[in-house]
Amino acid sequence: MKCYLCADLLDLKPSWRDLFFMDREETVCLNCRATFERLIQGCKICSASGPGICEECNRWETTELRRTIDSGQCLYAYNNAMKDYFHQFKFLQDVVLAEVFSEELVKAVRKTKGVAVPIPMNPVKLRKRTFAQVDSMLEAGGADYVHLLQKNEEIQGEKTKEERISTRGIFTWNGNSVPKNIVLVDDMYTTGTTLRLAAEILKEAGAETVTFVALIRA
Amino acid sequence: MKEIQDFLVGRIWLRDFTPFSKKAIEKAINKGFIAVQKGITEKLECARCLEKSSEKIIPYNCAKCEGICYYCRHCIRMGRVSSCTDLITWKEPLEISSYSHSFSWNGELTNLQQQASDELDESLRRNRSHLVYAVCGAGKTELLFPPLHKALSEGKRICIAAPRTDVVLELSPRLKAAFPDTAMHTLYGGSVFEEGFAQLIVATTHQLYRFQQAFDLVIVDEADAYPYSYDPALARAVNKSLKENAPIVYVSATPSKKMLKSTASQSKIFRRFHGHPLPVPEYRSLWNYRKSFNTNKIPAKLKEWVEQRLEKNEPFMLFFPAINMIRKAEPLFKLIDSRIGAVHSKDEDRKEKVMQLRRGEIPGILTSSILERGVTIDNVQVGIVGADEAVFEAAALIQMAGRAGRSSAFPNGEVIFFHNGISRQMDEARNLIKFYNREGQR
Repeated sequence: MKCYLCADLLDLKPSWRDLFFMDREETVCLNCRATFERLIQGCKICSASGPGICEECNRWETTELRRTIDSGQCLYAYNNAMKDYFHQFKFLQDVVLAEVFSEELVKAVRKTKGVAVPIPMNPVKLRKRTFAQVDSMLEAGGADYVHLLQKNEEIQGEKTKEERISTRGIFTWNGNSVPKNIVLVDDMYTTGTTLRLAAEILKEAGAETVTFVALIRA
Repeated sequence: MKEIQDFLVGRIWLRDFTPFSKKAIEKAINKGFIAVQKGITEKLECARCLEKSSEKIIPYNCAKCEGICYYCRHCIRMGRVSSCTDLITWKEPLEISSYSHSFSWNGELTNLQQQASDELDESLRRNRSHLVYAVCGAGKTELLFPPLHKALSEGKRICIAAPRTDVVLELSPRLKAAFPDTAMHTLYGGSVFEEGFAQLIVATTHQLYRFQQAFDLVIVDEADAYPYSYDPALARAVNKSLKENAPIVYVSATPSKKMLKSTASQSKIFRRFHGHPLPVPEYRSLWNYRKSFNTNKIPAKLKEWVEQRLEKNEPFMLFFPAINMIRKAEPLFKLIDSRIGAVHSKDEDRKEKVMQLRRGEIPGILTSSILERGVTIDNVQVGIVGADEAVFEAAALIQMAGRAGRSSAFPNGEVIFFHNGISRQMDEARNLIKFYNREGQR
């Protein structure tokens, strides 16, 4: 087995744990693993560094989108290693890289006890990219999920921050039955607009609590 | 259509990522000029890089096809090839008219260079592959010029492939200067698009994945170097890029035994262009240097050597076996002289740092084996820390030693193997250098 990121041979140390537990196989070497920066503590909603709830998340509570999201967690900082990883996964379409963080992502999702709902891609873009990165991470981690949302044509990345925060109606409910407790799953949290718009629709459709897990805090 | 032909002839390219509109490509396909094939073949082989191991050809659930597709991880950085991506090629070969290309190189070859150049010329005339085995500083590139000029004038399409971008960037201006009117492209990861048809291409070996039956001659420079010698996919790429029965010219200072055996026709130059012998490495013991660096100390003998270089105002290159050792050593050496620099393969500024050393702005550089080739610095002195470590094979040691004494103004540089025990590879390197010197002085 070779490391997915640097192609060095993986140094697999046999351990007692391997004998008794069916752990997933490692996909990335220890050196590469160490280049990523896991977020610990930080904002109770978006994991930005600092105590309590961060300024940005507090400001959301003064807008129309207040109380859409009840809590949340981002797992990793968007450092250079993560930028390279994300580029190779999403834009070079290296689908196997879904396995690199799938275990941690699914662990965080399961901890919330909610039903996993991925932030969807719009169908045209999905065919172009040939895979949905969030779905493939959940699948690689062996988690169940349901799609409750549909996304229309707009592309978030091409807008200014102000435009993004004032965006409306990028999601619609697809009519599937809505569970009480939902955990939204996305690859990247930037301004938090996408997740709040999605949560708003789900609450209107009957969800009681909406939390989220995102792999990266940009 | 002419523009598309100029670009595509000899290439194998992703249909959706050409410099032309999708409509224009479609028109050329419908008219029968362009052939289309699947990116991954029925036999699960990548049609571009010819990879077929199951570690690299990966199945996944494709949203475009709503079924299982395969993609190739091996050449993914050139844009992903998968079962449902189309690769295109131009069907008809292009006839290149023969005319005398201008040739503005007016250097002179030494007798040994001239002899090798003539032998190479003879091999090309007979369409057979050839190995130029010449020591570091023998003037390999120059001896290629006359045969290259002849081949270009005969209307042959030629690629000079080198293992690394650094080497390509060093070769390209020299060729441009020698053949000022020849249409030439320089290709490497991140190079800018150049228009039109190029009869001469200088490229990293990786770029050959994107060619198919394109060349009448491929010259593989530094043929023993990483990654060419380690990655069989690159050797396949060279063969795929050649037209049927076209020859390959290998150029190396340290060819492998396999290469020496497999190429029947060879030229050997065991003497530098300036006629002086190669500096012979000196062994100097440096016990427990790893422990020393781990406790933030430079071993005394090494410190002494560096201080002597600084005192005599001689530039130096100090090679290390591992990047993390360079990271540990750099701040310690900076305490001796804050201008001492460090480079390794992950360092984006390494070209600039080498230039600074060449211009005398910094006194010395700590480096990994990334600078073992293609670097010429007047009067440079060479130290190899941990010359006994497994990463330093004899070929690498010879290349690093070959940085010293290259210019005729300073033909005698010092080369020190700092070691923690003498390895077989060190002996092999030193014996070979002595052998070259004996042969070269005959």
